[in-house]
Amino acid sequence: MSSHTPEKLAYMANQIARNLAEQADPAAAVASHIRTFWNPAMIAALARAGATGLEPAAEQALRSLAPDAG
Amino acid sequence: MITVRISDDSLAIACGADEVAAAFEAAGCTVERVSSWGMHWLEPLADIAGQGFGPLAPEDVPAVLAGTSDKGIGCIEDHPFLARQQRFTFARAGKTRPLDMGDYIAAGGWAGLRAAERLSPAEIIARVTASGLRGRGGAGFPTGIKWQTVANAFGNRKYVVCNADEGDSGTFADRMVMEGDPFMLVEGLAIAGLAIGAQKAFVYIRSEYPHAIAKMHAAIAASADLVAPFEIEVRVGAGAYVCGEETALLNSIEGKRGEVRAKPPLPAIEGLFGQPTAVNNVLTLAAVPFILAQGAEAYAAVGFGRSRGTMPIQLAGNVRHGGLFEAGFGLTLGELVEAIGGGTASGRPIRAVQVGGPLGAYHPPSDFHVPIDYESFAAADGLIGHAGLTVFDDSVDMGDMARFAMAFCAAESCGKCTPCRIGSTRGVELIDRLRAAPTAGDAALLEDLCETMRFGSLCALGGFTPYPVLSALKHWPQHFGLIPETTP
Amino acid sequence: MGYEPQADLGTPAAIGAATVTLAIDGRSITVPPGTSVMRAAALAGGSIPRLCATDSLEAFGSCRLCLVEIDGMRGTPASCTTPVAEGMAVHTQTPRLQTLRRGVMELYISDHPLDCLTCSANGDCELQEQAAAVGLRDVRYGFDGASHLGQPVDGSNPYFDFDPSKCIACSRCVRACDEVQGTLALTIQGRGFASKVSAGLASDDFLGSECVSCGACVQACPTATLQEKSVKEIGKPERSVVTTCAYCGVGCTFRAEMRGEQLVRMVPWKDGKANHGHSCVKGRFAWGYAQHQDRVLSPMIRESIDQPWREVSWEEALAHTAAELKRIAARYGRMALGGITSSRCTNEETFLVQKLVRAGFHNNNVDTCARVCHSPTGYGLKTTFGTSAGTQDFDSVEQADVILVIGANPTDGHPVFASRMKRRLRQGAKLIVIDPRRIDLVRSPHNAATHHLPLRPGTNVAVLTAMAHVIVTEGLADQAFIRERCDADEYAHWADFVSETRHSPEFLAPVTGVDPAELRAAARLYATGGNGAIYYGLGVTEHSQGSSTVMAIANLAMATGNIGRPGVGVNPLRGQNNVQGACDMGSFPHELSGYRHVSDAGVRALFEGEWGVAIDPEPGLRIPNMLDAATDGTFKAIYIQGEDILQSDPDTRHVAAGLAAMECVIVHDLFLNETANYAHVFLPGSTFLEKNGTFTNAERRIQLVRKVMEPLNGYEDWQVTQELARAMGLDWNYAHPREIMDEIARLTPTFAGVSHARLEAEGSLQWPVNDAAPHGTPVMHIDGFVRGKGKFVVTEYVPTDERTGPRFPLLLTTGRILSQYNVGAQTRRTANVVWHEEDRLEIHPADAENRGISSGDWVKLASRSGETTLRALVTDRVAPGVVYTTFHHPETQANVVTTDYSDWATNCPEYKVTAVQVAPSNGPSAWQQDYDALSHRARRITREPAE
Repeated sequence: MSSHTPEKLAYMANQIARNLAEQADPAAAVASHIRTFWNPAMIAALARAGATGLEPAAEQALRSLAPDAG
Repeated sequence: MITVRISDDSLAIACGADEVAAAFEAAGCTVERVSSWGMHWLEPLADIAGQGFGPLAPEDVPAVLAGTSDKGIGCIEDHPFLARQQRFTFARAGKTRPLDMGDYIAAGGWAGLRAAERLSPAEIIARVTASGLRGRGGAGFPTGIKWQTVANAFGNRKYVVCNADEGDSGTFADRMVMEGDPFMLVEGLAIAGLAIGAQKAFVYIRSEYPHAIAKMHAAIAASADLVAPFEIEVRVGAGAYVCGEETALLNSIEGKRGEVRAKPPLPAIEGLFGQPTAVNNVLTLAAVPFILAQGAEAYAAVGFGRSRGTMPIQLAGNVRHGGLFEAGFGLTLGELVEAIGGGTASGRPIRAVQVGGPLGAYHPPSDFHVPIDYESFAAADGLIGHAGLTVFDDSVDMGDMARFAMAFCAAESCGKCTPCRIGSTRGVELIDRLRAAPTAGDAALLEDLCETMRFGSLCALGGFTPYPVLSALKHWPQHFGLIPETTP
Repeated sequence: MGYEPQADLGTPAAIGAATVTLAIDGRSITVPPGTSVMRAAALAGGSIPRLCATDSLEAFGSCRLCLVEIDGMRGTPASCTTPVAEGMAVHTQTPRLQTLRRGVMELYISDHPLDCLTCSANGDCELQEQAAAVGLRDVRYGFDGASHLGQPVDGSNPYFDFDPSKCIACSRCVRACDEVQGTLALTIQGRGFASKVSAGLASDDFLGSECVSCGACVQACPTATLQEKSVKEIGKPERSVVTTCAYCGVGCTFRAEMRGEQLVRMVPWKDGKANHGHSCVKGRFAWGYAQHQDRVLSPMIRESIDQPWREVSWEEALAHTAAELKRIAARYGRMALGGITSSRCTNEETFLVQKLVRAGFHNNNVDTCARVCHSPTGYGLKTTFGTSAGTQDFDSVEQADVILVIGANPTDGHPVFASRMKRRLRQGAKLIVIDPRRIDLVRSPHNAATHHLPLRPGTNVAVLTAMAHVIVTEGLADQAFIRERCDADEYAHWADFVSETRHSPEFLAPVTGVDPAELRAAARLYATGGNGAIYYGLGVTEHSQGSSTVMAIANLAMATGNIGRPGVGVNPLRGQNNVQGACDMGSFPHELSGYRHVSDAGVRALFEGEWGVAIDPEPGLRIPNMLDAATDGTFKAIYIQGEDILQSDPDTRHVAAGLAAMECVIVHDLFLNETANYAHVFLPGSTFLEKNGTFTNAERRIQLVRKVMEPLNGYEDWQVTQELARAMGLDWNYAHPREIMDEIARLTPTFAGVSHARLEAEGSLQWPVNDAAPHGTPVMHIDGFVRGKGKFVVTEYVPTDERTGPRFPLLLTTGRILSQYNVGAQTRRTANVVWHEEDRLEIHPADAENRGISSGDWVKLASRSGETTLRALVTDRVAPGVVYTTFHHPETQANVVTTDYSDWATNCPEYKVTAVQVAPSNGPSAWQQDYDALSHRARRITREPAE
């Protein structure tokens, strides 16, 4: 059973990153996608959990969306 | 070694030709199986060096070989029945082995196709048009015009369809072509294909013609290279008379219910599988090689009025000399049944001749002056159809024949249109009621019904059934109890 | 509107300009070439008697009543089969014709029962009408002859009877089945007088035949031979109202034919631009749920879900609900509230629900059932073309030369459109089917796919990229189109990507399971076969790569120039009647109506000006996010209009946990659905027959829904939402849905020209409707893409994380069946259950053999999410390694098995791929038993005496 655990949010971010891997600027594409579709509370929750387990593009995107993320 | 030529036509076989042939072989003769001359009362007919003997039974063979037989008819080609004919289509009848390519070539085969191959499609069609050839299936539509329509029509593919569903009572000319000279039909199909731009032909043969089906298969296989890339395929009907109607035939080939289609669209525009299609009768296509080989003028030189060329007339029923009689249009009905046919086989007076199959009118002797010609028969409330003549003597009850016409229509109706589907059944019931208790009201109702069927039906089955019924009612009202029977 | 039969001009319209002038009984008329004399006469205001002709069918020429005389033409040709010609002089009424017609009619009546006065078609029978028209006074044949009277009635179909003794053998039913429906279930058996209509084999009755019960035959029948049972029971209709079907996204319009307040029958409306007079079994017949005893008509509330329901007044229910929502907002914050709009409800109702969330709940926590079906379509087509919708109208299929169907099963899911597609295929268009299953389109009478690519579930992107590889590397791309219409750099990037060897059909074959030669042939056919049209469904979207697949489809269409004209395009077959509309209306948490992002200050200002509240500039939560947040304790109240998320959404146990964690679940529905088991407030809904409004179908066609009868529950759904809003203190005062549409038009540029008045006048409008396209837009992107240049998007194939393995070696995919609709809330409450009384698991014979399973056995279906049981159907329609089931019945609990994997871009669930194991079973799973108990408990209602 899943809920809004950091693991699930990280999975979502990674899935986006993998699907945008062939874009010209994957990190920017991931950031733009998340900014467009995610509620800020979800971004914040992911940011709180930190970048552990994130794909590079997702991690970079998270940094641009939530500069304070650890 | 004596060479004996005996027909392998199915009528000859039915009369015992195989047994007679076996007897000749047993007696040490070489037997060649050839096509039939078309003198049915003489079958099985043996041809030994041009001299004819028939009709033979196996026990007659020793006498024939000993020169003591009383079945000799003299030189076959001089027989009066043949001498009076003008054979274009049946020129090879009795003379060649049906599936022997050498025989066919030696007798002028493929000359028409070779001529056509040197012509443009438009030139082929022009020659057929100039010959005056009209559809031999019954409607008499000019073949050249039909081909021109198909040639002009837009379509990805075009087809030639040969209507070999010869179902009219007393007709057999199509069968004799397919059994006796199948390469000629192949040649005619190939020429049609060139003319209209078709890639493929279908020959739709009724299942009751197993010998014709086998010979057409063999002839198509043997000539495949000669007509390639044009392809010919045999399709076998399943016993429905109405599938001889061209649109029902097309439905049957497509694998659909054998039901008549409304026209327009004409098959020439939208026919088989929705593509432009020339549907032609066997005799029409069989006439084409002659026209291409001998020229349109040679064909058009014979005939009567707008009916040009020859017609293979089929004499059948209660007639002394039944068989195939090919001649230019214009002989009268009386000449055919009396002078040529020799009157009835029973020796009794002729009461009626039905011309054009089961949907043709019954003609009394007072019509014997009418010439065989599309327009003349139409003027006499009749039709020549496929030129089958069925003779009846004076023992026939014409009320029975009228009833039979309705019953035939009821049995063979495809069921699509109302006048034919319900009208034919009501017709049988009404004739029964009329003959049981004649009333002027029911006679009028029968005439009204015939009017409804004739002008209301979708195709010729329902539309022509009134011909035999009304002709019987008109000429023999006493057989319906409408006037007292008079004894001559 | 009174009861008038729909006008019938006898034969179909000819296409083209009217240029042939002829005279009919002296009256001059000009019509297009190819028009029949019969139709021309009808257009000239005359009427020629007829029985076998009707303008929905090609002329047949069998009844012979319509004979006419034409100057210069022999005989009496049938006017139905005779085309007009310039200068023709036609006489339709002459003494000769009268005699002939009377003669034909006399024959008809000689084989027909004389029971007009007691016949259910009395007064609505063409035979009766025509007998009078031709002046038949006497049947001189009598009635003693052969007849077809006294044959038994075939009542096997639940909705209509077949009484062969009344049949006039006109073949209209047979032709309707062939030409309109394309099922070819009926035939004329026998010949001559014995000709009779037969449903397939001689021994078959209608129910046992191939008949799909679309009713086209019933509609076509001129007598009472094929007639709705409802007409026999209720009587002849007295009035009719044209409205729009509430089942699938085809959007058929119907005449609801009424007697008093009773619905007698639904008859497809010939002027309906989506269906052109055709229907399926659901729309025509399966409306009985509207009066089903299960409908809840009183509002109900309860404190907690272990209590029984308590019926209350509307006032109490709404006051209680508003108070609860306010309490929760106060305690947990505004983000704890959300709503779900319904694709089953009208545009106006959907608009109000999202408005309630945005203006009343002060957040963007609104989502809709498109989340679980076509959200990837919205994302993918907006990204590539600029508009979140299909590009064509349905009529476009009539000009298609190559039809590519991927991940859709139109004959079951969109049957009325499928019939039109099949007709085009019978005319010679080629068909490519990409589907793991051998759907009916692959091979059915007179239709066969040129190529069927039976791919492994989950490999759509790989297959489409391989097709693109073939098209690009073999030089089949439409360079002129690409140069003119698409972004060149993006194309170059994409072309390089798809040209990589790793995207060749041969390289990908081990992944996709598709024969490379067949795939290459299919790609060449699509690229070079003339107009190429792609139709797709949920088999495309409901994957973890759903959005990528939609974009891969768009790429293919652009690369081959198959966009921007009739006959081509990218066509999502939308599932629900108003799923397009629900999306258009701003039901997504990131978008306001017309697909405008909430972050756009200018757009927000427009709404803020109209509504007088501030709009949250941040995207809200999607359905799965709301459920996750509920489990986390931050989301507490939800207003769900017309959707049963517990049954329809994936991973049922996760949904149940989310709902159970909320404090106020408001279900607004017709029935106590599965979700209502977890609800605290139940607000009775109204059916589409009971309301006014509009639906928007899959071709962006906005059509009116008209109130046919008063709502049994007292209120149309928009009124309930309005009352709830008012109870929460919002000053809403809509008097009619037309006022809501006016507001939508003011706020939404693509709807600027839409109003109920225009829809009344014009029948329907396809958005965009605005100054640039005042008459709407049947085909989009004609001169350029909405976004400017078409955007090629590189679609990397990222396989799903759902993998088969030793524990779960089979792939489950799901779909639906003709007779049932989605979760079955409606169709299970109709006689449609005779065709599908339970969901079955289709399994290949080899897989069944390995497991000792035979057809009809109970089997356990298990995934890592859960397990359920259902009965097996052994069939080679599915490939080895693949199993398939429908999800129409709640007992099946198919979504207990599906996982929470979803589309990377939209979180559309991956219904179509679940790794499962199948084993023989002897009964329901533990979850099914527990749920069954809960379900009984949760549906208890106490009816206390009113105080």
